[in-house]
Amino acid sequence: MNKKISKLLTVMLAIVLALGLTACSKKEEAKNSPTGENSDIEALLSAEPENSREAAELYQKLMKKEEDVLTGNMELWEKVFLLVDKDNITVGDDNNYGSFLLKIIEDGKDKFSEAELKLLKAGAEQIKGLEEKLMALEEKYPDCTGAKGEGSSIDADSAGMSGNGSEMQGFPEFQGKDLDGNDVNSSELFSGNTVTVVNFWFTTCKPCVGELGDLDALNNDLAQKGGAVVGINAFTLDGDQDAIRAAKEILSKKGASYKNIWFASDSDAGKFTSGLYAFPTTYVVDKNGAIIGQPIVGAITAAEQAEKLNALIDQALESSK
Amino acid sequence: MDKRKNRISLLLSRFRGCIQAGAALLTNIHLPNFLKGGIYQGKGKYVCVPGLNCYSCPAASGACPIGAFQAVAGTSKFRFSYYITGFLILLGVLLGRFICGFLCPFGWLQDLLHKIPGPKLSTKKLKPLTYLKYVILLLTVVILPAAVVNEVGMGDPFFCKYICPQGVLEGAIPLSLVNTGIRSALGVLFTRKLLILMAVAVSAILFYRPFCKWICPLGAFYALMNKVSLLEIKVDEHKCVSCGKCARICKMDVDITKFPDHTECIRCGECISACPTDAVRFHYGFGTMEHKKQRKDKQNE
Repeated sequence: MNKKISKLLTVMLAIVLALGLTACSKKEEAKNSPTGENSDIEALLSAEPENSREAAELYQKLMKKEEDVLTGNMELWEKVFLLVDKDNITVGDDNNYGSFLLKIIEDGKDKFSEAELKLLKAGAEQIKGLEEKLMALEEKYPDCTGAKGEGSSIDADSAGMSGNGSEMQGFPEFQGKDLDGNDVNSSELFSGNTVTVVNFWFTTCKPCVGELGDLDALNNDLAQKGGAVVGINAFTLDGDQDAIRAAKEILSKKGASYKNIWFASDSDAGKFTSGLYAFPTTYVVDKNGAIIGQPIVGAITAAEQAEKLNALIDQALESSK
Repeated sequence: MDKRKNRISLLLSRFRGCIQAGAALLTNIHLPNFLKGGIYQGKGKYVCVPGLNCYSCPAASGACPIGAFQAVAGTSKFRFSYYITGFLILLGVLLGRFICGFLCPFGWLQDLLHKIPGPKLSTKKLKPLTYLKYVILLLTVVILPAAVVNEVGMGDPFFCKYICPQGVLEGAIPLSLVNTGIRSALGVLFTRKLLILMAVAVSAILFYRPFCKWICPLGAFYALMNKVSLLEIKVDEHKCVSCGKCARICKMDVDITKFPDHTECIRCGECISACPTDAVRFHYGFGTMEHKKQRKDKQNE
């Protein structure tokens, strides 16, 4: 019986430990892998930001990569830094930190072993590439260097719910279809309206379904001002035919005739949608595709919520002018 | 043989606090979400955890069985969830209200609250209230979500919406702390349930596990399963000296010598630790020869 107890305890302990590991595994990976990953450096190098916000993000990522290359073999690099002649620092003609490092390594190559040299040179080459990209970015988007402080998390932004910052956030772009199969693309959609009220809902969510009638009335109101309501049913992403049928049935039962759309779940807008965890959530978007203010969480049927929504709509109409 | 079996029982009841802490942690493994303000929405949410633990807790690893049942019953397509019911019957047969005593995070919270010094009141006279939880199970979990529907056939999760204090504690409070959108959406329902939570918390200091005894629909389900559960508490009649100590220390007001499969017994094992003659122990599996013999003896008497 004693054996049984220890067996039981061992099994339980093993389970606890195993689950404990799964909880931390992602972070560990992130810590260990990035140093020499050529592939994701290449991905970063080939990335082309479309606006200054993305540029700033990319800038931070590139800086992080550069840091990772150095911290990956810290001891070795420190040896290199010791070789630098402090009184006579010349960064080089092209002003690139990577080529500067390459030169130092070349000058002191007799102090390193063959393998060490190879590692250092590869690292310096990576840094050179990263520096080139950084410089190109700075040239194109002069304000991308300091737009985001360290420690600001990208996840929180892409989740869409946590936008506490006052900076303007664009609604994620998408190429989708409406429930009748007509193509809808985000830039045309937003630029064609003075204001677009985007309502996220799903078919089995009672408060979501409860406000469909009000949203339809709002759509009719907005039509006179050149605006529109657009619904996004989370179940219909990727064009799931059954879900679309069910959504259409509910929409027609509730007499809602405004446009409902879907897009791929792995698109930016799709990820934005799966980052939402409170339904219904309603965003107000202006002509330029920028999200106005904070989203309205919960049904807009309550007087207080409707008031907030109207204030956002007025704001959007103003900024669309 | 008996003596050694009793040792497992003693160990279990002695380390109950640790097991409860471990279970609460495993049920809520995604701790970083408390800071990030999101909830985990992965595949783990396709299954239920054994205890009462809100789906909307940022850290929750699975779904709440009571919440999930209402969610299914409240849709326009389904009126009853066979999946959740089967799952609960399975857990009930395997463990019964042992889940309340050892695995439920909200039960653990009440245990901890009860450790706060203060007047400790007996709940023996409030026994009729224990039937309230069956009414809550039937009405707010099974019947109302399926019966009270809007024009497209959808119902509300009545228990979650109007009663559950665990939802406020684990879902509403942490989410609204980090998310302005959710904070601004808090309304009268939140205030009402916050009051329920505070009432439960205060009475948990005065009484032992008031929520489990009187309100919990999940506890009610497992209470019925206690009757058929493989995990039982057995009293060895040959060793028992009828001192009545087990009945006196039982915080769930059960006399284990008379009703070993009582609906209110949460299998906490305090009677096992208290028994001076080691006559009480956990027993797992179908009845053994020895017990059959005991039963036969009883019949002969």
